[in-house]
Amino acid sequence: MTPLLHLDHITRHFGGLAALQPLSLDIPAGTRHAIIGPNGAGKSTLLSLIAGTLHPSAGRILLNGRNITRLRPAARARLGISRTWQHPAIFAHLTVADNLTLAGHRAATPQPDFDDASMGRWLQMLSPADSAAAVPAGALPYGHQRRLELAMALARQPRLLLLDEPSAGLDADDLAALSATLRALPTSVTVVLVDHHLDLVWSVADTVTVLHHGQHLATGTPDQVRADPGVQRAYLRAGEHPVPRQTRHSEAPAAMLLQIRNLTTGHTETPVLAGIDLDLPAGQITAILGRNGAGKTTLLNTIMGLHPAWPPTTITLDQQQLASGRPEAAARAGLGFVPQGRRLFAALTVAEHLRLAEAAGQSRERRRSQPGQSDPTDRPSGRSSSPGTWTRSRVLDLLPDLAHRLHHRADRLSGGEQQQLALARALLTRPRILLLDEPSEGLAPILAADLMGVLRDLADDGLTILLAEQHLPLALGTANQVHVLVSGTLTARCGTDDLPETGRWRPWCTLLGIGDGRDPG
Amino acid sequence: MSPVRSRLSARSRHMVGCAVAAALLAGALLLPAVAGPYVVALAATGLVLTVLAFSVHLLMVAGLPSLGQAAYLGVGASTTAHLATAGITLAPLHLLVAGAAGALAAALTAPVVLRTRATTFLMVTFAIGELVHTSAQHWATVTGGDQGIQVPPVILWPGGTPLRAQAGIYWYTLTVVLAVTGGLALLGRTRHALAWRAIADHEPRMHALGHPVNRQLLACHLLTGGVAGLGGALLVAVNHYVCPADLDFTTATLALLAVALGSGRLLGILAAAVGIIAVRDGIGTITAGHSLALLGLAFLTMAYRQPITRWLHTRRTHRAEAT
Repeated sequence: MTPLLHLDHITRHFGGLAALQPLSLDIPAGTRHAIIGPNGAGKSTLLSLIAGTLHPSAGRILLNGRNITRLRPAARARLGISRTWQHPAIFAHLTVADNLTLAGHRAATPQPDFDDASMGRWLQMLSPADSAAAVPAGALPYGHQRRLELAMALARQPRLLLLDEPSAGLDADDLAALSATLRALPTSVTVVLVDHHLDLVWSVADTVTVLHHGQHLATGTPDQVRADPGVQRAYLRAGEHPVPRQTRHSEAPAAMLLQIRNLTTGHTETPVLAGIDLDLPAGQITAILGRNGAGKTTLLNTIMGLHPAWPPTTITLDQQQLASGRPEAAARAGLGFVPQGRRLFAALTVAEHLRLAEAAGQSRERRRSQPGQSDPTDRPSGRSSSPGTWTRSRVLDLLPDLAHRLHHRADRLSGGEQQQLALARALLTRPRILLLDEPSEGLAPILAADLMGVLRDLADDGLTILLAEQHLPLALGTANQVHVLVSGTLTARCGTDDLPETGRWRPWCTLLGIGDGRDPG
Repeated sequence: MSPVRSRLSARSRHMVGCAVAAALLAGALLLPAVAGPYVVALAATGLVLTVLAFSVHLLMVAGLPSLGQAAYLGVGASTTAHLATAGITLAPLHLLVAGAAGALAAALTAPVVLRTRATTFLMVTFAIGELVHTSAQHWATVTGGDQGIQVPPVILWPGGTPLRAQAGIYWYTLTVVLAVTGGLALLGRTRHALAWRAIADHEPRMHALGHPVNRQLLACHLLTGGVAGLGGALLVAVNHYVCPADLDFTTATLALLAVALGSGRLLGILAAAVGIIAVRDGIGTITAGHSLALLGLAFLTMAYRQPITRWLHTRRTHRAEAT
């Protein structure tokens, strides 16, 4: 029987870099096939080759026996290939309704499983509420954007659905909805899924292929792959064994470096955050937890000045009030930011990113060294409190993967390397406070565990960190205290050391939408 | 603000907008009755620039900023001038032929310009505009060179009286511009316009959805060439004259300025284009030729509109808090 998709020794090189070594793979119709592997393994490159966004350096791609190797993305889409991207590829300036209209303009090959009624059910399940139909898609919460993107991909009635990190940035509710949706898809849709969320992969996939440094490592059922020693070594080990939570005992209470009072803001005239009070102790990690749409990104953007705060908000750093809506002032005052989606400069190389950030950091350092300028992290607080001076070599020691990619453009990096570059860029500005928005998004389990270690080291070195994160093991494993944000209000606060003893986790599960109330660490 | 209040304010804003549009339309129709021939001639020239600006705007909808649309206006004007000097002065026929000529010229340049996007598109269209302008200056047998071509007045229907009176020319131009405005407003509600906006927003997603992006952009480019060509026919009807200077770089930048000042709205672009001509040819004469400086100031004001509005809003809020 002819497989729906046949990859015949496809390879892809970027200059001298072999992103994908010769790979042959058959994917029968109706299967759910997952591609997993560490960051930089070539998973997204493989999806782009199948979708036609990239052309292979060698090899052939056959869809239902037809050679589609040289076809463009639109032609492949018309043959029934539909895809999502690592970051939601939606029309951000158009309304939700317009997005869906454009997606459903002309189905590839109408399929019996996608009659009008079932199509309506799919779209209803995935699309934001009817009340959001007239809202620009870019204004939707991140999880809703992801669901909208999937709805758009399904509206094409695809034969082959390519999903690139569909779980990235999703909260527990959205993940459950995604998993249910993928399991319920008709068998006429073949799914190729790239994801680091292993629970999702094991629950959805019939077969799994593991890539490592562009090479094929293994293909088999989820059980076979989990039992493969090579796969465990390269990818699974850290993901299967969560890193234990670190317990810290401060000798003296830390000084409050950043104080937020009555933070209120919103989009146009609709409030998103109301009356947020938050203190960040110097040299500690504070995590903000919350479902998608709770306002975590808006909170970080507002602190950073990327989103205007409404009166009577006050944000005070070292007794100096930060101006609303002025990110450059926030950066000069000592806030560093790793935004969701990384926001790298696509056309600049890694080295150029580092040089720019280093120049900004040195400039800030010079201002701080002028008479009359002081740094509250220099005050005694019972812990090592100076963040130290970040230099390029120190950052590359911390994030060694970047050292091998200095002359590559940011848009040629893998998702994990991009995340490391965003962190390196922020550190080189020599911040007093580091804001991180979903830093584990798109990271392989091993890299996520590495990131936990890096964040702990940074805090031990005196850096103050505010973290918004969906990845609960990472948040709970690194933070000194966590806050839960629900519908734009901070509703609960707790030191992470207190959680297991006091049994306070269970009500928090309800707030965060985690069904069984188990300790996620 | 509550949703009810938002709806009310949206409705009242819409009503105010309709009232302003109606007042402007009435003013435009009655202009020849209250203003002298010179002002009416300026307004007619402003309407011609409006059509050119519309063609720039249509490309901007698809995310393609152009500095080359004056070339298609020149092609349309030149074609019309030759028709008229050959004795064919029927205005509707001029519009038809000029539009077709503009679209044909756009089709010839499409393989070059549609391979590019964003700033590269701007530079390529600028180069094409300048090439056409320079060629027109040197190709005197066709364009009349620096002397240009004198053109007899148009007639509105077969056997009609030649349109010589300034008011008649103005009303004819206004009618065409309003028709084009209405047509473009209707076009803005179609799937074609939605597709162009989507291409500007996220072109790779459009490819991945199976849309024929290249064909959609070609259609947009041809249409804008046609609209600019219509502008050429109007230019000839208004001035009874055409020369290569009419399609130089300044004309292209004024059209782009009108689009920027009009904030991407058709009526805004219309008002901006008329205002630009009023400043350049009207106020410019009483400011010792400093009209371009005034236009530059207007452009800067537009560019800084958002920061200024934000600053005023913050100031108002602080004052309200203080009291």
